[in-house]
Amino acid sequence: MSSDGTSVKVLKLPEVLDLNAASRLHEQVLAHKGEDIDIDASDVTRVGAQCIQVLLAAAKSWRAEDQNFKVQPASDVFIKTLQLLGISDEAMLPKEMLK
Amino acid sequence: MDMNEIKEIFFQECEEQLAELESGLLRLNDGDTDPETVNAVFRAVHSIKGGAGAFGLDDLVSFAHVFETTLDCVRSNKLEASQDLLKVMLRSADVLADLTAASRDGGTVESSRTSGLVAELEAYAKGQPLPTSAAAPAAAAPEPVKTEAPAPAAEAPEPTDDSGFQPVPFSFDALDGEDDLAVDSGRSVFTVRFKPRSDLYAKGNEAVLILRELAKLGDLQVRCETDDLPSLDMLDPEGAYFSWLIRVETESNEEAIRHVFEFVEWDSTVEITAGADEEAFAAPAASGEDQPMAAVPFDLSLLEDQPAVPAEAAAPPAPAPAAGEPALAPANLPLAAKAIAEAEKKETVVPAVPAAPQTIRVDLDRVDRLINLVGELVINQAMLAQSVVENESGGSSAVNLGLEELQQLTREIQDSVMAIRAQPVKPVFQRMGRIVREIADMTGKQVRLVTEGENTEVDKTVIDKIAEPLTHMIRNAVDHGLETPEKRTELGKNAEGVLRLSAKHRSGRIVIEIADDGAGINRERVKAKAIENGLIAPDANLSDEDIDNLIFHPGFSTADKISDISGRGVGMDVVKRSIQALGGRISITSKPGKGSVFTMSLPLTLAVLDGMVVTVANQTLVVPLTAIVETLQPEKADIHSFGPSQRLIAIRDTFCPLVDVGHILNFRSDLANPIDGVALLVESEGGGQRALMVDAIQGQRQVVIKSLEANYTNVPGIAAATILGDGRVALILDVDAVVTASRGQPLSPDMMLAATG
Repeated sequence: MSSDGTSVKVLKLPEVLDLNAASRLHEQVLAHKGEDIDIDASDVTRVGAQCIQVLLAAAKSWRAEDQNFKVQPASDVFIKTLQLLGISDEAMLPKEMLK
Repeated sequence: MDMNEIKEIFFQECEEQLAELESGLLRLNDGDTDPETVNAVFRAVHSIKGGAGAFGLDDLVSFAHVFETTLDCVRSNKLEASQDLLKVMLRSADVLADLTAASRDGGTVESSRTSGLVAELEAYAKGQPLPTSAAAPAAAAPEPVKTEAPAPAAEAPEPTDDSGFQPVPFSFDALDGEDDLAVDSGRSVFTVRFKPRSDLYAKGNEAVLILRELAKLGDLQVRCETDDLPSLDMLDPEGAYFSWLIRVETESNEEAIRHVFEFVEWDSTVEITAGADEEAFAAPAASGEDQPMAAVPFDLSLLEDQPAVPAEAAAPPAPAPAAGEPALAPANLPLAAKAIAEAEKKETVVPAVPAAPQTIRVDLDRVDRLINLVGELVINQAMLAQSVVENESGGSSAVNLGLEELQQLTREIQDSVMAIRAQPVKPVFQRMGRIVREIADMTGKQVRLVTEGENTEVDKTVIDKIAEPLTHMIRNAVDHGLETPEKRTELGKNAEGVLRLSAKHRSGRIVIEIADDGAGINRERVKAKAIENGLIAPDANLSDEDIDNLIFHPGFSTADKISDISGRGVGMDVVKRSIQALGGRISITSKPGKGSVFTMSLPLTLAVLDGMVVTVANQTLVVPLTAIVETLQPEKADIHSFGPSQRLIAIRDTFCPLVDVGHILNFRSDLANPIDGVALLVESEGGGQRALMVDAIQGQRQVVIKSLEANYTNVPGIAAATILGDGRVALILDVDAVVTASRGQPLSPDMMLAATG
């Protein structure tokens, strides 16, 4: 996790993650496969279900390979959208949001 | 793109939807029971309503809504699509078309028409014809209602489709804006299963927004089913893998929830069940992942970046206990989930909904300009070719080769440009359906319109111009051709008359037939009337065909009384003239007691023509190639004189009248010697053949038609003009007019004999 800080890559998400962004996001995430990654969702002002799909799929894949994948930090919109969609995967929500 | 343009597109789409609607209804009327047809009809009304809502066309929306509701009852098998209902629906389709037109062009539709139909539609939707309607609401309300999206790909078996399905009466109170019965019995709980397909996203919808709308109705508990999510490398970023199980606790009713999904129901599976489905929520997610329910009572203001979908007036809550009878639902849900998952799996293999053909809308003016230019290009190319031939000294084959290629190219360009304007006759035919209904109503006759070959394509200019004569002929056929239901039953025919409208391509022309199974032409009466009007001599001996053709005479009307429909001063002669003006022909065949068939044959385009260039008395004429059957060099032995000025030519054991074109057109006063010329055997209207005599054939070429009427004036015997390669104007022969003129003054029966012999 963040303890071995140096090797963690950070993927900064753009402001708008709508349906047009899904393919690009998919590529970007795929490019980091096999390494620990932090997703910075702090700028996100809009996010659609398809991008969430990509991120969640990534979270699962990373977990399956015992790599670290977490979203941190995340904007309020990002978190609220996840809640609205009923997604509570721990990798997707910044720690402090989990009870 | 400004708002008006968008609106214009909407109206164009409306037209398409209305056509779809009407053809669907007609199919149902013909006994089609395919649920896809009902769905198509429903979709059409639904799309119109949706678009109209976006533009604030309230009249349109409210009518479409009632229509849609009734259709929904049919769609869900609550209502049988009886003939009576379909009649109401067809009339509703007409009104919907009128409302659309009124919204576009201004003007209004008589409110009595709409309100009457609204009442009828509502009566059907309420199941008024059924006596049990009063008892139904209480019992049926808690049953699950499924909205099965009808995308073709989703036609996987759905075990839950039929089981446990019962009619759910719709509340129309909300529609009328009355909030009676609004007993606030607290909040109801609904369970919503929502599974988007990738189309939903592809169309710019967004599951997040839907859920957000839903959250506005009340408190949500959302569980996202993520089991279908593949691994990252297998994932299609634009696919749809999530589905949701949502518990909604709301003061609104099911209708309001359904409304949230209104615009996505075709692209997703939405299942709304009254009552909480605790079992489904409690069931652990199959993936084994920890997926606790996320309650969503949080502040939505942050996400508020879009105006709300105009929600319908909150309707009274369903008159059932909120969490009543969850027994049915849980049993069904796992099954449903499985079925949905299966359907989804199939979908990933089979490419989703077949893509609509790619089209663009182009202003007709632009196409016309292009066609004009291409016409000029063709003329220019011909002129160039001519001057090369004239100046050819020694002859450079390279130039000739290039010219040939150019000619091929221009020809191809012309064909392609023409194809742009070619359109199916379907819209015109569909308009006829309405005319038939209106006239059938007026005359109290029962008529079924059967159309064939609606996809036959013809140039737009022709389409625009056939609507009027066609309308008139249809009117005539219903008014005069078909008998009243009583009389038909008496005669042992089906009380419902059949009018058959068909189109087909035949040798470079489009042939449109209007056939009725009515009484046929009353020849006695036609003849008597013609004698009365002084059209023919009382002792004239006419063949049946001649009598039939009398109805095309100017000023001829057999209707004793001038009815509302016919006798408007427009007779069949006008029809004939307008068809002839299009370069078309019309003929009639009639069998007493069996009906009449009107056949019109029209050119596919009014812009170019394949013609044979001929010389007559030093004039250059163009004879339409489609009219010519064959050309021959007359032998002296084959020519027979017949009467004072008639001549016949023997062609393979038959005699055919010889027509001297130069004489008919007054190019020369005396008859030319047939041996010096060439005979063109032409097929004339009514089946007879004539040999047109010309002096020489120059060649065959495609010419661009230039209207003579528009530039000069109508000349009898001449259909139009064209510009030849050398820049000279050549006249295009109106073969039928020439043949008619050759018959001379009386319709001599002997001539007919010779023609058909």
